[in-house]
Amino acid sequence: MRSTRAVASDGPSHDQHTQDHDGQDEHGEDGDEHVDTLGRVTALRKSVAMTTLLDTPVPSVVDALRGERHRRPMADHHASSGLRAVLEDGIYELLAGRQLATSTIVHSSSLRDSWSVPELASSSVARLRGVLLMVLLRLLSVGVQVDAPFDDALCAWRSQSGGGQLDDAFDRLEPDELARLSTEVQAHWTTLRRALGVIPAIWQPRTGMHVSQRLAGGDVVLVDNIDLMFGSTNSRAASVTLLDVTSSPLAEGAERAMRYHALVQTLRSGVVPLRTSVFSSATGELWIGDVDHQLLMRSVRDVLEALERDWSAR
Amino acid sequence: MTTLLHRRFDTGLVDRLVSEAPATITNLTDDHRRSLSARFRAAAMVGHQRLDAWSVEQAGRAQRAFAWSPRTARRVLASGALRRVEVQPSLTLLDAVRDEVADQLLRATSGFTRSGSLAHWLASSANPVIGLVTSEALGWAVQLDEVVRSISYPRSIAESDTYYDVSLARTTLRGRRDVIVMNDERRVVIRVSSGAPGKSAGHGLRADLTIDALADPGGFAPVRFIGLWPDAGVCLSVDGSMNDLRAGARDLVRSAVARRRARAPIAA
Repeated sequence: MRSTRAVASDGPSHDQHTQDHDGQDEHGEDGDEHVDTLGRVTALRKSVAMTTLLDTPVPSVVDALRGERHRRPMADHHASSGLRAVLEDGIYELLAGRQLATSTIVHSSSLRDSWSVPELASSSVARLRGVLLMVLLRLLSVGVQVDAPFDDALCAWRSQSGGGQLDDAFDRLEPDELARLSTEVQAHWTTLRRALGVIPAIWQPRTGMHVSQRLAGGDVVLVDNIDLMFGSTNSRAASVTLLDVTSSPLAEGAERAMRYHALVQTLRSGVVPLRTSVFSSATGELWIGDVDHQLLMRSVRDVLEALERDWSAR
Repeated sequence: MTTLLHRRFDTGLVDRLVSEAPATITNLTDDHRRSLSARFRAAAMVGHQRLDAWSVEQAGRAQRAFAWSPRTARRVLASGALRRVEVQPSLTLLDAVRDEVADQLLRATSGFTRSGSLAHWLASSANPVIGLVTSEALGWAVQLDEVVRSISYPRSIAESDTYYDVSLARTTLRGRRDVIVMNDERRVVIRVSSGAPGKSAGHGLRADLTIDALADPGGFAPVRFIGLWPDAGVCLSVDGSMNDLRAGARDLVRSAVARRRARAPIAA
């Protein structure tokens, strides 16, 4: 993991920073009541100019993911086949000649489950909140003006949902649950919109990507949903960046999910992505990891451990 | 024996498949067309039917009625957007997709679109739905663009899918195609699909190969037909040999027969 950064969802604007730098507030020139109070409690001679953390502009998620261009490594086109071979060998050893009646499907949630509280994560309202937030992210990525987050997300989601379990779950919601869902979507949307920043069109953002990889002759299928991806696999320098947006607080499982996204994307495209990240709209936290051989190998081990758990439970 | 190839994505894969395509071009003659027409007439139904690779992959089983959605609209819009970018390289893909959507909406307001068309559906959709359509189309356009940029041969984005009306059989064959690559006189056709290929994906690919050859005025088949599944990182291809063309035609006729049987009343 290269760095872990927290992005405040409601950081001060640039104008506010400028004011703080000038130190005008401390002298009560703007007549702010808090400043007046401060003036009475602390004598002026005891005040000294100092730098605070808030004076640093809070980077948006997009800024943080952009990083420094000249430090980007060359795109790695060779790791994919090696990782696949390690996975295939590991599965072969785990199976030890057993025949599976059905394919084992691995999701990023398969790696998270042992760490999270399933009742909270899998409740209908939580799942609906996640789906609607995802729709809003998709609208945000193409610069659509969202005026009523809940209604807009619902309208867009309904246009492509095919009458599945979540549709039924939505229709069964009680009025108070619906109101709670609406409020939650609004709150998470506010955090996401403020933190994400503007995605340049030239980065070619694509959202809601469903990715799958068959291993061991189809006995194991790695399935993944990448919420937001940008960058190109054709460029000489690595540029593909993955972002997972979750409406839950980040826990240890989120780090596994980050690694898993990078692994599946590498296997799918044959090119190692530059960065993988996860953003929580519940807390405004952003975790970013540069993708390297170590990170990918850890993900391979995560997958093999998840398979071992699953098969031993059978 | 067919020439089905299965490959995983890697750098320069499509280029290799184009350069290694067979040198000989197979030609479907009028006799072939007549023979195919006779077989389809034997399996004709009361109404008009349209067959495509998907109906072959589904073995002629009834499909759900088509309805526009952000997902079904993305391919048309994305291809149009890429054609715009070819003409005007300074456009970003997002701008090109937006222009394409705007063009469709303009068609709808001009009053020349029929009910059920994409323009008609877009015009009746709310703003968030159009936003989702844009997002889907952009995602598809980026995938297609990555494929196109990896090809060093002269290539073009297909203007439309291929259609072939089988004479006197009330049957239309529809073939999917996304990119056409020219290697000298030889034509290689690329089809991009979502999801992962199923067990019958090869049959679907051969059906598209055959329809492409039938729709060609001279009956010249592509030397290779490549199917890409970027979501799964998998590529399948079939060569335009006579064996593959025949196999494709057989599968199409079989799916027509299966469809007729499914619709025929059960004898008491």
